[in-house]
Amino acid sequence: MIGVGKIKQYSNVLDKPLGKGKQEVSLSAFAFLFSELVQYNQTQVDNIAELERRLEDAGYAVGARVLELLCHREKGNRRETRLLGILSFIHSTVWKVLFGKVADSLEKGTEHEDEYMISEKELLVNRFISIPKDMGAFNCGAFVAGVVRGVLDNAGFPAVVTAHFVPVDGQQRPRTTILIKFAEEVLQREARLG
Amino acid sequence: MIVCVAVVGHQNNPLYIQSFTEADDALKLHHIVHCSLDVVDERVNNPKRSGPTLNETYLGVLYPTENYKVYGYLTNTKVKLIMVTTDLDVRDADVRNFYRGFHAAYVNAVSNPFHVPGKKITSKTFAEKVSTIVKSFG
Repeated sequence: MIGVGKIKQYSNVLDKPLGKGKQEVSLSAFAFLFSELVQYNQTQVDNIAELERRLEDAGYAVGARVLELLCHREKGNRRETRLLGILSFIHSTVWKVLFGKVADSLEKGTEHEDEYMISEKELLVNRFISIPKDMGAFNCGAFVAGVVRGVLDNAGFPAVVTAHFVPVDGQQRPRTTILIKFAEEVLQREARLG
Repeated sequence: MIVCVAVVGHQNNPLYIQSFTEADDALKLHHIVHCSLDVVDERVNNPKRSGPTLNETYLGVLYPTENYKVYGYLTNTKVKLIMVTTDLDVRDADVRNFYRGFHAAYVNAVSNPFHVPGKKITSKTFAEKVSTIVKSFG
């Protein structure tokens, strides 16, 4: 299963702990694989929007499977039916399993009722990627946006999810924000459930 | 003795149906599974008690027919795992245990990158695992 972590260097191989079954994949292996994924898709498409869509679709498949897996692993036997419930589930559990830490922050959008944002100082998938100037606003975080969309869609909360760069003063690299916009029916159901 | 297990997708499309007895007509079992889907929907949409039991994955006995009992289990993605058994004195703990193994096999089958979500589960490993779990039940 996909779990990304850092390589631990041990001076003596006998000091390495025996695997307890906690799956951790080496970061470099994942970075190589992800860069190949992006490069392969680049040769297949003509424009940026199509590239983003392909990365999102790849992420969607991952999201669907991660949801099933996590739901099974969680001892609670609970289904998430509330909006805040599923959002905090993504923000902590899904992020922890995929990236080894919880997301930096979860905020509610101020302009629209149906918008929520998960932001991260630096997405793990973007760590070794720099976007050339002529690609404009393209963000490889579209893969992560696809993962989130896969989780939400399969849990019964259809939404449109996108990834954006948000420049922050005092930092060279901009912060990445995953913007989640829920469909109308989700809000209606949430209002009905009170 | 379990006579039939079924996995039904979130749009009530069958993903996997397997009957474990030669005596009964397979079609009758399919029909029983189909009827139980209505009961699942009813349980989910009109909860008898609100609160912590609202989001339980294990639904318990859905409905008893002439000589069968039908159990249901709903996963987080609205996929239903239905089980039909002829035992009349089955313990709740046994059924929960069965569903745990069944859910694990299902998650493994779905994690296959070549599995298209929404299509039938064609994995042989899944079929074998389910047969093993069914044989060791009860």
